[in-house]
Amino acid sequence: MLLFRLFAFSLIRMIELAPNHKYGLPLPAPVMPAAGVFGYGDEYRDLVDYTCLGALVTNPVSLHPRRAAHPPRIAAHREHLIVHTGLANPGLRAVLREHRASWERLPIPVIVHLIATTPAETAALCEQLSGARGVGGVELGLSEGVAARQAVALLEAAREGDLPVIVRVPFSRVETLALPLAQAGADAFTLTAPPRAVLPAGLSSDAPDTRLYMRGRLYSTAAFPQLLNVLARWARRLDVPVIACGGVTSVEDALACLELGAAAIQVDALLWRDPALIERVARGLAAPVVPAL
Amino acid sequence: MACSVRQYISDNPYCISSLSITQYELRIRPMSKQHTAIFREACPEPPFWAVTFESPHPPAPGCFVLADFGGPLREALFPAATNATGFTAMLLPRHPATHLLPGAQVDLLGPFGRGFRVGAVSRLLLVAEAALLPPLLPLLEAAPAVALALEAPTRARLPAPERIPPAVELHLITQDGSAGLLGTLEQTHEGQASLAELLAWAECVCFSCESARYPALAAQMRAARLHPAPDFAQALVQVAMPCGVGACEICRVQTQRGEQHACTHGPVFDILDF
Repeated sequence: MLLFRLFAFSLIRMIELAPNHKYGLPLPAPVMPAAGVFGYGDEYRDLVDYTCLGALVTNPVSLHPRRAAHPPRIAAHREHLIVHTGLANPGLRAVLREHRASWERLPIPVIVHLIATTPAETAALCEQLSGARGVGGVELGLSEGVAARQAVALLEAAREGDLPVIVRVPFSRVETLALPLAQAGADAFTLTAPPRAVLPAGLSSDAPDTRLYMRGRLYSTAAFPQLLNVLARWARRLDVPVIACGGVTSVEDALACLELGAAAIQVDALLWRDPALIERVARGLAAPVVPAL
Repeated sequence: MACSVRQYISDNPYCISSLSITQYELRIRPMSKQHTAIFREACPEPPFWAVTFESPHPPAPGCFVLADFGGPLREALFPAATNATGFTAMLLPRHPATHLLPGAQVDLLGPFGRGFRVGAVSRLLLVAEAALLPPLLPLLEAAPAVALALEAPTRARLPAPERIPPAVELHLITQDGSAGLLGTLEQTHEGQASLAELLAWAECVCFSCESARYPALAAQMRAARLHPAPDFAQALVQVAMPCGVGACEICRVQTQRGEQHACTHGPVFDILDF
């Protein structure tokens, strides 16, 4: 009976991602997809068992619709991917219209990833989301070039809403943004957004001898050691939970992140190739709770 | 110990998501779209290699599967031929799949997408650039009378003649005039619309070209047919589709109904959408 209870508790234990928030953000498991890789709702329903995840982090959502960037939007080189979608999305109103029903049905909370350039936009986004059933929190995406004062203003606007606010910090800006944002009341951090990088993207159709290069978000296993470096430096210095994001490809990787102080893991675009990866990591992290017989 | 783990969770007042998990698993989660195909053979069919897989879920014409050949991204495979046990895809020479050993396992996701919808028509027109012809090959015998308008830069880029059944009426267009008419699908050297007569003849048209050419081809279609029925002319869009489920936003294409995902709304669209 004891083993049975331990096993059952491994299934139901909660991770609190927003301990300082009035409602909190309890997650049933410490694994979730990263923003921009998993869609808005149940797109992956035929490939991933959502019941083993901790949360669903949506694709970036802006107040108004955003069109896709001109192709090419992806380049691959060895194990590296560069992605530049232009953060295309139909706008929050359309996202809510289309996905609100599936969010209510999901067995896990939804964290809506917001992109905004002004505090007014951020506040409007959070206001539209308040009261949306199934939404457990928001993740505020910051651009690489954002100034610390502007980032704090965006966070303060997001905190005017009811939902816990997780801030996803750009890879190159952790040193300058993490502490000011923690002091400004971020409920949690995602460390980090994918770093920016450049890869060759084929030959120009106009001038076939000219090689094109593409700049965008880097998804690669090579990001993982850099993630551990960031976690080792920052995870225990910040007084709020940290979600690790970048190049996690195995249970061992996820355990390393947790050991360095992360409270949860986001699996990024590497799951496009291997959708079962996120499920394997989630089940693998749940497994150590069951004692060996 | 008479109760199951799930029963224990359901009874536990601290487990806030237990009931919804049960409901989700029982009512919503359908079967997985991930499965394993067996590589059977690869034979050269210039300018491609025909690679055959045994698969329990072969994609329909115009639909695709995402195959894992070891790169950072999966690769979309469109069927060039299908049967009850599997499918054949046309791949470029030196593609990793051409080096597989018979019996090798390949992990597939899918089938995905909205394929060609060719009903019981008697006159079917297929229009393709030679390099993008393979997804149309399953349709070569989909109607009693089939015509194929095929454009290539030069004669050397045309597919092997034996790949085209003798009953198919072949209209060749080359950009250097080395075979068939001189010109492009949009216009011949004499300034005539290449496809006008064929479009008037057909009951259904399926295109496989670079998507940037579809607006011009759609204009030609509108000139030839005043009020075509929905899906009279269908166009396959071949763009990068890394996830296959509409999650990654990379395969967005601009249509008259706004931006749509090639992997879920397509990859076959009504050409009048362009």
